[in-house]
Amino acid sequence: MPALFPRWLEWFNQATNFLGCAFGYSAGLPVVEPERRSDTMKLYESLASEHVTELALRKPVLCTGDVTVRAAIQRMQAAKLGCAIIVDADHRPIGIFTESMLTQLLVNDPAAVDGPVSARMSEQCPVVHETNSVSRVLQALQRENTRFLAVVNHEGRVTGLTGQKGLMEYVADHFPQQVLVQRVGSPPPKEREGA
Amino acid sequence: MPDRTRNLSEFQDPLENYEPPTYDDPLEQALAEETVSVIQSIPFAKVTPATPIGEAVEMLANLHGSCLLVEDEGRLVGVFTDRDVLDKVALGYDDAKTRTVSSVMTHDPVYVYDTDSLAAALTVMAVSGFRYVPVVDHDGKILGIVSPQRVTGFLRRVFDAN
Repeated sequence: MPALFPRWLEWFNQATNFLGCAFGYSAGLPVVEPERRSDTMKLYESLASEHVTELALRKPVLCTGDVTVRAAIQRMQAAKLGCAIIVDADHRPIGIFTESMLTQLLVNDPAAVDGPVSARMSEQCPVVHETNSVSRVLQALQRENTRFLAVVNHEGRVTGLTGQKGLMEYVADHFPQQVLVQRVGSPPPKEREGA
Repeated sequence: MPDRTRNLSEFQDPLENYEPPTYDDPLEQALAEETVSVIQSIPFAKVTPATPIGEAVEMLANLHGSCLLVEDEGRLVGVFTDRDVLDKVALGYDDAKTRTVSSVMTHDPVYVYDTDSLAAALTVMAVSGFRYVPVVDHDGKILGIVSPQRVTGFLRRVFDAN
């Protein structure tokens, strides 16, 4: 019997924790609620004080300049990203190739798909540093009129990718009650006020 | 004849005790209280589902745009973006050029009403993963499009003003 006691206690705690989560009380082991940023820090303050690394950074597609546009496209497709960062041998950014550049290329010179990406990239790769504030991302996106920003470390090497999507996710994190998605052709959600 | 005076006297306003949320953060307040209509959601470009892909790609290139709304008989039916070009067209462009936009567009796109809050539009972008969210009226007619550029422009203005 003593051997069964710990298992019984575990079941009890699992059950009470489940009920606690479902009905808003805790009776067994304490239920740890995840900390929500919006409860502790407001959006304006977060933007001004938190670092770029607080964003959900993407793993970038890195290519050297001699890679063909076709190969860069294939890597972008596989990574589900809209850009490739062109880097030197030390992983420092020397350019960027984006899906909007691809559109221009297809219309103006489709044969260039099999040429080197360095001939079609922009040599101005917008960057932010890991230690910059998130508000710097907002400023850079606006100032550079870009969708993507390479994140670099103190040595200038690319460590991540952020941009409009990362910033949208960061800001949306402060509005958990606003999650409301509807699609054309489907009835609006019942929760939608006034619909 | 029903006694309307009595009914009115018994009526209890369900919003009688409603207290609207208050915000002590200027950005959160602006996003929660301003509606989609306050940001520029035009101009936008549109095509029909039967538009050839080559023509749509040329439109994107000439307009230096990233998104075309696909409209059929006055109603939104899809969205065609440069991501569709990358994923579904780029590596077989010669063959794809003559196919129609409807074969590669995103059907049943996520949309918002112009009366929705900016926070709702922004959250739709973040949750759905779509960068361009059409704005429609309650009859389904296209009014514009919310783009990340336009949202970040709004955020920047409010951030700098405070």
